[in-house]
Amino acid sequence: MVEIFQNLGHGFVQLLEPVNLLSLGVGLVLGLLVAVLPGLTLVMGVVLALPFTYSMAITPSIILLTAMYVSGTYAGAWTSILFRVPGEPMDVPLLWDGYTMARRGRAAKALGWTLAAALFGGLCTATAMVMLAQPVAKIALTFSTAEYFALIFFGLTSVVSLGGASLANGLISLFAGLMLATVGVDDTYGSYRFTFGVPILRDGIDYLVVMVGAFGLGEVFMRMGQGFKSAPLESVDKVSTQLPTLREAWAVRSTFVRGTLLGIVVGIVPGAGATVASFLSYGVESQYGRRRHELGNGIPDGIVAPQTAATASVGGAMIPLITMGIPGSGATAIILGAFMLHGLQPGAQVFETSSHIVYAVFASVFAAVIGMCVIGYLATRTLVRVLEFPEVIISAYVVMCCILGAFAARNSITDVWLIVVFGVVGYLCDRFRFPIAPLVLGVILGPIAETNFMTTMISYDNDWTVLFTRPISGVIMFLAIATLVYPFVRWLRRLRRAARGALI
Amino acid sequence: MSTRLARALPYALVGLASAYLYYVAAHIEYEHRAGTLGPDFWPKLVLALAIAVCLFEIARVALSGGRGAVGEIAQLAERAAPGEEAPAPPPESLPRLAAGIALTALYVWLLGPLGFFCATVPYLAAFVVLGGYRRRGVVAAVSGLGTLLMMFFFMKVVYVSLPLGEGAFREVTLFLMRTMGIR
Repeated sequence: MVEIFQNLGHGFVQLLEPVNLLSLGVGLVLGLLVAVLPGLTLVMGVVLALPFTYSMAITPSIILLTAMYVSGTYAGAWTSILFRVPGEPMDVPLLWDGYTMARRGRAAKALGWTLAAALFGGLCTATAMVMLAQPVAKIALTFSTAEYFALIFFGLTSVVSLGGASLANGLISLFAGLMLATVGVDDTYGSYRFTFGVPILRDGIDYLVVMVGAFGLGEVFMRMGQGFKSAPLESVDKVSTQLPTLREAWAVRSTFVRGTLLGIVVGIVPGAGATVASFLSYGVESQYGRRRHELGNGIPDGIVAPQTAATASVGGAMIPLITMGIPGSGATAIILGAFMLHGLQPGAQVFETSSHIVYAVFASVFAAVIGMCVIGYLATRTLVRVLEFPEVIISAYVVMCCILGAFAARNSITDVWLIVVFGVVGYLCDRFRFPIAPLVLGVILGPIAETNFMTTMISYDNDWTVLFTRPISGVIMFLAIATLVYPFVRWLRRLRRAARGALI
Repeated sequence: MSTRLARALPYALVGLASAYLYYVAAHIEYEHRAGTLGPDFWPKLVLALAIAVCLFEIARVALSGGRGAVGEIAQLAERAAPGEEAPAPPPESLPRLAAGIALTALYVWLLGPLGFFCATVPYLAAFVVLGGYRRRGVVAAVSGLGTLLMMFFFMKVVYVSLPLGEGAFREVTLFLMRTMGIR
């Protein structure tokens, strides 16, 4: 315990270096801006920032991306509350109580509740991350490939079953992602798979190319089709933040705690990120909250629940990333990419080999939470004015960042062609309601899943039951299957109820 | 009936594509080692699952036509949304979308021969105009100055070797690089 605090102290000292502080500040502002703009998602923002970190040292580049990730979970709430425009999908639940509260003339108070929720959720998740990471890494050291495969399987099933509007479409997206990950030379046998004689495909398809294309260009193409027309903004005379009093906050203490815990747990599950946390937390509040019957009428509980969970998911998602090298969300997948670009593979050994970097990143999460709240308190009005900037110009530069980011990775025009192809794929997925997140997670986690599965099979004479008979992997596999089967059971029940209703 | 056919069509197409890829996977060449699954096992497993999901969806659409199982977020959004929904997206213009994609593809195609500067300036201007923005001064600044700034940042600060172009276009790029102090 003392060692953890000492290391964290060293982390704060490192954070005080000018380049790290500058990265933190730039990351915070970029994250807030990205979250405010409805055409730019948090993951897209982190993707676009990645090429700018190529020439930076590892610590400031991870600090920059992490700060973007933290602040990106907060600022979208402002536009939800003030203009009824969710900056991010995770901010949709804030329309239900946040915007309603604002419409009743208490916009400043709604912004204050958001700030308090982000601050509480953020500081708690940062603490949990610091306290849990090292013990989890020690446990992860005892894991075999079976446990790693089970964990990844759980992540893949949860992103499908928790996320999209159609389970079948989510599964198809996931399978497409897993297939894309198999393109190229097979690691174990050295044979070519799905290269179709195209030389560039022998190197495989980099997940960054898929992410930049599907998330970045796909979104721009969609907005282009819509003529970059956003919903007209409502006029807001005065933008200010009025913090809740301690007594008011104490009255919703259980919502603060519930949302935070849920956010941390959801964040830890590989695949589920801030959006899932935000919706789940609102859902839990609507079922178990003390004032559940008043939700939707502009009460603080409906703001605190999604916002605490969204921000708390960040620390949770960082735990599997740092301790096992498994990204828990789209943004952490990019951060993993940044780690690897700088020659550091996160995993159970990272506390032995590079603890100074890890603790500097941990310290930056604390600083980012406080920094984003200070900026949010002082500069909400200034930052939301970015919405007045023509979206088409921002999108033009987004395209350029996508193209240059893809080109810079390998200095290859073919990669640029690939992101255009995946941009079209991303647009088509969106158009035909195939979720993009499982596709991208399939590409990222596919190779890790395959390697661990094949190694397990080699180690245990192709006996797949070992995945269920080893205690830890067995529990995780059953959890994963339950997660996947539950929506089908619910669907069958609904069908049966409908059939019964038709008979009556 | 036609609605059901339209709903089932994407799954039929994905199913057929998966079946073709399964065939390709079955013909992956490798040196077989006794007791191992081979490099074709994993893709075949994934494709078999994809085909199973497609068949299930086709059967479901044909038999019930209704909505299938949905994810937890969709459930929660339906159950919890008390009235304030996010605003509906504006209508889509397919010609503008197609023009945007074609313009981007043309840009990538010309990036090699024209070089970064000569290809990007007209691309940015055309993109912004296509997107409905018409203030000429701003369009010129966004495309011209924006391209120079990006060129400076990526080549001088991040050390990315952007395409220089061929022939006269290369000379233009090299002149600009010299002017901006990029080596």
